[in-house]
This record gives sequence, structure tokens and C-alpha cells, in this order.
Amino acid sequence: MLSFSARISGEPECRSRVQPESAQLSDVDLLHAVARGDEAALARLYDAYRVILFGLLVRILNSREEAEDILQDVFIQVWRRAKDFDERRGRPFTWLVTLARSRAIDRLRLLGARQRLTTGAAREQENTESISDALTDTVHSEQKEIVRRALAELPEEQRQTLVLAYFEGLTQSEIASRLGAPLGTVKTRMRSGIFKLRALLGSQLESFS
Amino acid sequence: MTHEYYKELLAANALTALDAEDARGLETHLASCADCCSEMDGWEGTAAFLALDATPFEPSTQLRERILESVRAEGLSGKLTDNHAEASAETRVGAGHPRVIAFERPPRNVWTSLGTLGAIAATLAFVALIISLIALWQQHRATQRELARLSAEMQQAKALLDHQRAVVQFLTSPDAHMAKLAGTNVAPGAHAMLAYDQDGRAMLMAKGLPPAPKGMAYQLWYIKDDKKMPGKVFRPDAAGNGILEDQIPALARDQAIFAITLEPESGVQTPTGSVYLLSAS
Repeated sequence: MLSFSARISGEPECRSRVQPESAQLSDVDLLHAVARGDEAALARLYDAYRVILFGLLVRILNSREEAEDILQDVFIQVWRRAKDFDERRGRPFTWLVTLARSRAIDRLRLLGARQRLTTGAAREQENTESISDALTDTVHSEQKEIVRRALAELPEEQRQTLVLAYFEGLTQSEIASRLGAPLGTVKTRMRSGIFKLRALLGSQLESFS
Repeated sequence: MTHEYYKELLAANALTALDAEDARGLETHLASCADCCSEMDGWEGTAAFLALDATPFEPSTQLRERILESVRAEGLSGKLTDNHAEASAETRVGAGHPRVIAFERPPRNVWTSLGTLGAIAATLAFVALIISLIALWQQHRATQRELARLSAEMQQAKALLDHQRAVVQFLTSPDAHMAKLAGTNVAPGAHAMLAYDQDGRAMLMAKGLPPAPKGMAYQLWYIKDDKKMPGKVFRPDAAGNGILEDQIPALARDQAIFAITLEPESGVQTPTGSVYLLSAS
């Protein structure tokens, strides 16, 4: 498996294939080093994951300011809880993304839907304009493209339930209410959607850290 | 509910989309079902890939240093030293240096010279008894110290939890108002949020403030119709974070402007320093 940090840093594909196992170990090793109190390892994890995590947080919170607050909290949690990371249960990528999303959804619920609605539209434009040229390459990175293509292949109503749950933190009942659809229909769409997403990503999942 | 029922919920749980009742039931089930736990990990892995659908953004360049400063400020870096020491010790062992401390040569045993084996045995038994008593006494004292330490930690944790509950209750109360304060050109990276209720109970949470010079502190101001009313003062931590609880004057609870200035740490009645944070009018 390839390390997310190795892939995002632009390592040549052929080299990645030569040393997949060692590359995968690097993020795990970094987390173990953080658990031992290695501040430099924390800085390396931040460098590797800041862009993708910050993008996720901005998407959920619609606010760079709130997203920076949460990103800071996330890496402080990584520092405190790295010893809890168990590579047998998942990849560092999953652990970090789950931690970041969980805190963002908590903040989103604290802020309330009212603020979400008032800040969202105004900041979307601001956020879009702030993508740097350097990030454009990342936007079109292989990983994103695979996920984007997989999502595009889902039926619209299935994709919509996944996006509302994942990025807006809505429960199945809340989604049903938002869409004016029966709860049972929403449950079926969500289940079908994530099953199909897993099938579409298929073996490509293994190439991510 | 059956195992199969909960198994059906796993994928939705990875999206945290279950309603409260199902989520609680599944949480209880997961505590005792290794099969579902393992499958849950897999679904979380799948759900995490949705993060890649978000457009990547670069956070501000100061954030990295703020995080590292926060980590240092917590004093957690100390564990690095301890663990490095342990690692060094292990390295030494691994490198072929046995962790064996040589015994000093014992002094000549006077009892042997007397040839009284019975006396030696009795003495050894007595010494062993004394050593056992001392060890038990030390163990007892260590246990008492540990109990006292744990008790103190529990009290601190309880106090912290009570405080956090009160803060959450305050922030989520229906009549809570929120005002955002943005950094001025003196502190463009700073920002804060002031929450207050109709009784004037207020809580300020500030981030990214520059360190206050010695003898100085940040002071909160309530401004209404050009009347500047002083609030409390606070000093941010090393990472620039500060929390302040205060009581808003009755006059300033409606349509007021909030500001933060740098002042002498005892506080002043009229602002004298630069404005670092300011709410919208």
C-alpha cells in the first residue's frame, strides 16, 4: 500500500510501486513516533495531511476561520491520542479523516443550521477564489479523480444522501425531511450508495494509505 | 434487536447518519460483537474516501506554528525526553551491552568465621522478616500516595467536566447571542467569539492573539453610543488562545460593539492601547 503522504508529495508512480510497503509504513511510523512525543513527526504529518483535511473542514463548515480552529484541535488531538491509533483497524488516512470530520460535525451542530445557512453562500465564492495554483495539481490528483469518478457513477439520489450525511452531518431522518422523501427510501438509497461506492473503488482502496 | 439488524446499520453508522435510538443500540452491540466491530472499521475506511471529494485548501501559514506552540505549551513535549531515554536504554541493550549491574563483593561474613550455622539461619530469617515488613510498609505508603494522586486527579477532572458542561449549556442555550470579533491590522491573524445571554453572562473565546508584553494584558470593552464600558482583562496562553468570562453591563446588551485592546494588566477605565479585535457595528 502507498502512503498518502508519499503520494500527495508527488513521488513518481513507478518508485511508489517499487517500495509500496515501506511507503505505507511511513505514516504509521510517524503516528507511532508522535505517540512517543516526537514533535517533528507531528509536523511531518501536518505537512502531509493539512491540505486534504483543511479542504474537508472548509467543505463541512463553510468557513476558513472555523476550519482552522478545528484543524488546530485535530492535530492537538493527534498529539494526545496517537497512542490509540491501531493500524490493524485502519489506515492513518482513515483515522485522521474520521477524527477531523467528527470534530467538524460536532462544531457544525454547535453552531447550528442558522449560521450554516448565513455563512455558506457568501464564503463559497471566497473559498473557491483562494485555491492556489500549487493546489490545482492536488485537486486533480489520482486519488481525488478515482473518488470523483466513483461518485459520478452513483445515481444522483444515492450520491445526494451520501453527501448530505457526510458533509452536512445530517441523520437519515433529517435527510428524509430535507428531501421530502420517506425515511425508508432514504435508508435504502444510503445503503445502496455506499455499497456501490465501495464496489466502484474496489481494489483501488488498497492503493491508498 | 438481532445481530443481523445491527449489521445492516453499520454502513450508515460510518456516515454518522443513524438516528439517536439506532445509534445507541448499535453502540451497545458493538461493545460485545467483534465481527461487527471489524466490519465497522471497513465501512469507516470507505466513508473516509468521501473526504477526497472536498476541494483541497491551504490553511494559513501561521497555523502550523500555532499547533506546535500549543503542543509545547501543554508541556507534553516532556514525554519525548522520557521516551528517548527509554529508547536509548533499549538501544544499549540491543547493541550488546547487558543491563547487568555487578554486585559489589560482599564483606567478609563474621558469622561464617564463628561456624554457627544456626545463628546464620536465624539471622537471615530475621533480616528477611524485617525486609518484608519494610517492603510492605513502603508498598502501603506508595498505594496511599497513588490513591491521593488519583483522587486529586479525579477532582480536577470532575471540576473540568462540570465547567465544560456549563460552557456547552451556556453556548447552546436558546437565548445565547454570538458576536464575532475580527483581528484589526494590529493582529490580522486573531479572531474571537463572544457569547452572551439576556442576563448579561458573557464568555469570550479568542485565538491567534500576539503574546501580551510583561505587565500588559488584553481588556474587553463594551461600546454603546460612543460610551466605552470596561470589561475584564486576560492574558492569552503561548498559542495566543484566551478565554474570559465576564458580565456585560445592562446598557451594552443590545446593539453594542465589542473590542479588545492591549492595556496595563490591572485594567483601565478608559481604553489607552491599540485595538486588536473588533466586532462588526
